[in-house]
Amino acid sequence: MKVGGAQPPLSSSPKGRIFDIQHYAVHDGPGIRTLVFLKGCPLACAWCANPESRRSDREVRQILARCRSCLRCAGACPSGAIAETEGRPRLDRRRCAMCGGFECVAACPEHALIIAGEEWSLDDLIARVAKDIDFYRNSGGGVTFSGGEPFAQAEFLLAALAGCKRLGIPTAVETCGQAARADILAAEPLVDLFLFDFKVVDSARHRKLTGADNGVILDNLRFLADRAPGKIVLRLPVVPGLTDDENNIGAIAALAAELRVARVELCPYHPLGRPKYAEIGLPEPPDPPQPLPAELLRIAGVLETRGIRCGPA
Amino acid sequence: MQKRADSSFAAREVVGQPSGERTAFLKNRYLEAPLMLDIEYIRHLTESHQGTDGMEILERRAENHAHALERLTPVIHARDRIVGNKTRFIRGAVPYANYAAGPFLREMRQQEQDAQQKHIDQGRGGGIAEALKTARAKGYEVFSGKFLVSPEDGREFRAICEYWEDKCFMEVGDRLWKREFPQAQLIQDGWTIGLYSAPHDPCPEGRLVLDFEMALAKGYEAILAEIEEKIAGLRPGAIAEADKLHFWRAARRVLQGALAHAARYAEEAERLAREEKDPSRKAELEAIAAACRRVPAKPPRNFREAIQSYWFTYVLGHLEGSHLGYSPGRLDRTLLPYFEADPRITFDEAVELFEELFVKMTQIEYIASLSWQGLGHGNLFQNCILGGVDGGGKPADNRLSLAILQAQINMQMTQPTLSVWYDESSSEAFLLKAAECVKTGVGYPAFFNQKTYVEHERKTSGLPLEVIREHAAMGGCTEPVLGGLSYGVVQPGFVNHGKLLDLVLADGLDPNTGLRLFEPREPGSYVEIVESYRDKMHQAVRAWQQYWNYVMAAHRQTVPLMFCSVFVRDCLGRGACMDDGGAILNQTPTTLSSGLVNVANSLAAIRQLCFEEGACSYAELKKAVAADWQGYDGLRRLALDAPKWGNDDDRVDGIFLDLFADYCAWVRGQDNYLGKPYDPSMLAISTPVPFGKACAAHPDGRLAGQPLADGVTSPFPGTDIDGPTAVIRSSSKVDHTQIRGGLLNLKFHPTALTGERGSRNLLALIKTYFEKPGFHVQFNVVDSDMLRDAQARPELYRDLVVRVAGFSAYWVEMSKPLQDQVIGRTEHCL
Repeated sequence: MKVGGAQPPLSSSPKGRIFDIQHYAVHDGPGIRTLVFLKGCPLACAWCANPESRRSDREVRQILARCRSCLRCAGACPSGAIAETEGRPRLDRRRCAMCGGFECVAACPEHALIIAGEEWSLDDLIARVAKDIDFYRNSGGGVTFSGGEPFAQAEFLLAALAGCKRLGIPTAVETCGQAARADILAAEPLVDLFLFDFKVVDSARHRKLTGADNGVILDNLRFLADRAPGKIVLRLPVVPGLTDDENNIGAIAALAAELRVARVELCPYHPLGRPKYAEIGLPEPPDPPQPLPAELLRIAGVLETRGIRCGPA
Repeated sequence: MQKRADSSFAAREVVGQPSGERTAFLKNRYLEAPLMLDIEYIRHLTESHQGTDGMEILERRAENHAHALERLTPVIHARDRIVGNKTRFIRGAVPYANYAAGPFLREMRQQEQDAQQKHIDQGRGGGIAEALKTARAKGYEVFSGKFLVSPEDGREFRAICEYWEDKCFMEVGDRLWKREFPQAQLIQDGWTIGLYSAPHDPCPEGRLVLDFEMALAKGYEAILAEIEEKIAGLRPGAIAEADKLHFWRAARRVLQGALAHAARYAEEAERLAREEKDPSRKAELEAIAAACRRVPAKPPRNFREAIQSYWFTYVLGHLEGSHLGYSPGRLDRTLLPYFEADPRITFDEAVELFEELFVKMTQIEYIASLSWQGLGHGNLFQNCILGGVDGGGKPADNRLSLAILQAQINMQMTQPTLSVWYDESSSEAFLLKAAECVKTGVGYPAFFNQKTYVEHERKTSGLPLEVIREHAAMGGCTEPVLGGLSYGVVQPGFVNHGKLLDLVLADGLDPNTGLRLFEPREPGSYVEIVESYRDKMHQAVRAWQQYWNYVMAAHRQTVPLMFCSVFVRDCLGRGACMDDGGAILNQTPTTLSSGLVNVANSLAAIRQLCFEEGACSYAELKKAVAADWQGYDGLRRLALDAPKWGNDDDRVDGIFLDLFADYCAWVRGQDNYLGKPYDPSMLAISTPVPFGKACAAHPDGRLAGQPLADGVTSPFPGTDIDGPTAVIRSSSKVDHTQIRGGLLNLKFHPTALTGERGSRNLLALIKTYFEKPGFHVQFNVVDSDMLRDAQARPELYRDLVVRVAGFSAYWVEMSKPLQDQVIGRTEHCL
């Protein structure tokens, strides 16, 4: 589904900020699933594929490939933040007042300007994900909450998980683990599967690559593994030169073995999210190479010799 | 494929290979062969027709067919073990001048005036390119854009066509309806503007499955004995009773001709065996001779003979008519008893024999008017459906179902199209094997919900549940029939809903030609616009049905199918051919249409823009559409953003459901030529491309000339933005038991279906759709980037097969617009 395609109806139940909903997702938990992407993330990973997920508030995405330079956006902006440069509209984000009305988005006939992050009421979200309930039943699927970091909207997440459970819909949460212990404790009984992204064991390097050290993350992982190791799938982003060195892989293997997580999934780095940086006014980070199949096999081999089940996401 | 192509494409997960060296040879020989015109059958048929003036028509048809069968050259190609085919060539077509000589003559006189042709694109690559190359090298003539014929045969064929010009089915039909039928002008104008598909007379028949079980189990000699008994026992009362004698004598004659035909193959095999030096080929030829001495006269003694017997009946029935959609039936069930009773045949040997059989089926080409060739893209819609349940409701999938799927995984021939009767009791091994075949990317098997069809047939025919379940088969693209019990779905072609919408917006005028088809009527409200549409649809459909009833009366007078009637119950018992209502089921004739999704999307846009949000007036919208949206960018964006079918959005789905229900009810209001109500059907073959080419811009934001939505319930390409589950939720709102044949295309990126997990998710998707209950779904599993590369570098993709509509086709033999349409279907990749 296209980003920005999640158009929320209006309603008065608790609100969450969602930047995408995808149906027939088959790589984030078992069966046929609906993926709900919650906006806001405490980390800023160097390889992030969803940079529009980081800020918790709504923002404008400018998809220049769709733009036909009619400049209606420039005329519509009440803050004068869009001006013509070489025949193309240029959005000056320092002047953008994030006016909430998003006049520029409404004015664009090509959907070259879209809003990342829509307000969804809990009732509307549950109604939306429940539409595929027969697909979940027949495939062993369910709903996966991802992000951003879903625990960044913990109250809404917990309500949404409870809403799914009331309808008998299996749930999964993809988390980076940078969350309040109390929220994880509250979520655990409502979650059938944690897709726990774990990147780097060395805390100083973790801080360098993600903007935060991994103390809280490791604590939460251990806490969760203590209660329900079978519910944890550890996900390792394989980013050549950043996360795939022998030390890190060895340390993760040791951790996974110690915690007896259900399995480890390798998530090879891909550059598909890179155009989105420019679209939200962020500089593009350096582009690491994509891991080769042999590289993934090597890592899987290291994990499997430790008796850890391992596979692609 | 991926090894040769750019490695950045997602690989198709399953890439099969012929199981042995023999079938690899047969496949290559096929891929390298040019398309040939073979006039031998029509030569002998014509010769016999010239000498049988005054003979009763059934007996004459039988005599003509038998006469030809007794004289056709028996050709046994190198390494073949199954023998006989419609032509002498590796890829050959029989030109049925007795059906429609006019289009052939017009082409030979270089004045093809078929108005439809401007909407039609043909492919240019593959065997078509081979034909053109050979033509240049050998001085052959190219016929119909792709078939080769020698200059001598070309001259003879012209004389044959001139003989048939005033006697053929099409001409007799035209004489019947063109003068007094009040709607004749509407039909002809409809052809001119693309409201209707081209006249179907050149290839009217098909969608037919013979009673192969009876043919094999009894053998022709036993059937002949039964006929003799009937003739001996006849004590005529009324005239109709005496007429039965004509039928039975004709049946006897046509079977005798078939036996002589098989004997000629036996002689040829014996001759070749005597000359053969290689001992293993010699043994094969002796086995062929022995089989042809035994079958189809007597029941087969082993599995090999069963396949040969089946193939004789199949080909000789195919040869008799100008068929599209003539189908193999439930081959896994038909042949199972012979497989199980043969202690020497292994599973792998059965797979190899099916591989050979499928090459034989793919070798059959057809030639009709250019327009029909464009619509079918040369595909004959031979649809082999597997699995399902038997009469008692027990699962019917078996080891041969797996062998047949495996054979097509290995070969990936465009024929036969494989289909699956889905039932929740179907075995997991069978369904997983079917999913594996889907993942080759060839687009088959299509999945059909047997329960939905059974319910449709119970409602329309009233036949017992057990009979329907036992005989449920597929005849053609997606039209279910009762194998061996029903006259095929003989229908006039398609009504273009998109063109009807043009006529609504232009107040009865065709915007392209200026022809007036309907009285002006200027609707002022949304309800009046819908009414205007319904009124035009009603008139167009009714005229189309009545026109075809005239044509089929001419069919009875000129080309009734005698051989086929012998193998459709209960023609023999009733002493009546299919045209005289001899079949058990006579409600198969359908009224087909295409493009309803575009109408629903357009009405939703009109309602929202002009009557709810006030974005523009209806008059302004009409202007924008008439201008092909030039200068109306902003308005077009609003139109594109209006609700679209395929997103589970009731604002548009409700409109579609109303139109659909109205169409179904209206179609049933007219009896067919056999005196039963017409059955509504919607499928599309390739009509969305030429129909769209004929249409102006539409209020849903579609530009002039763009293809329409394909299938029945497939979304317009690119407008299904909420994923495949939403498409299925929309599609499942339709009552699929109302129609004989529906179609839903879904396209997946290969990565969405990886591994057994991907297969199981796909099967869960199908199961969920069929619980709702849907009727049909089929899949293209290819990377669109690979298809774009295949457009740019066709030489690397000679054997790439993709799903088009009710059939799959070689990519390189498809027209560019059709290729674009397959690329444009929304690719679900997550």
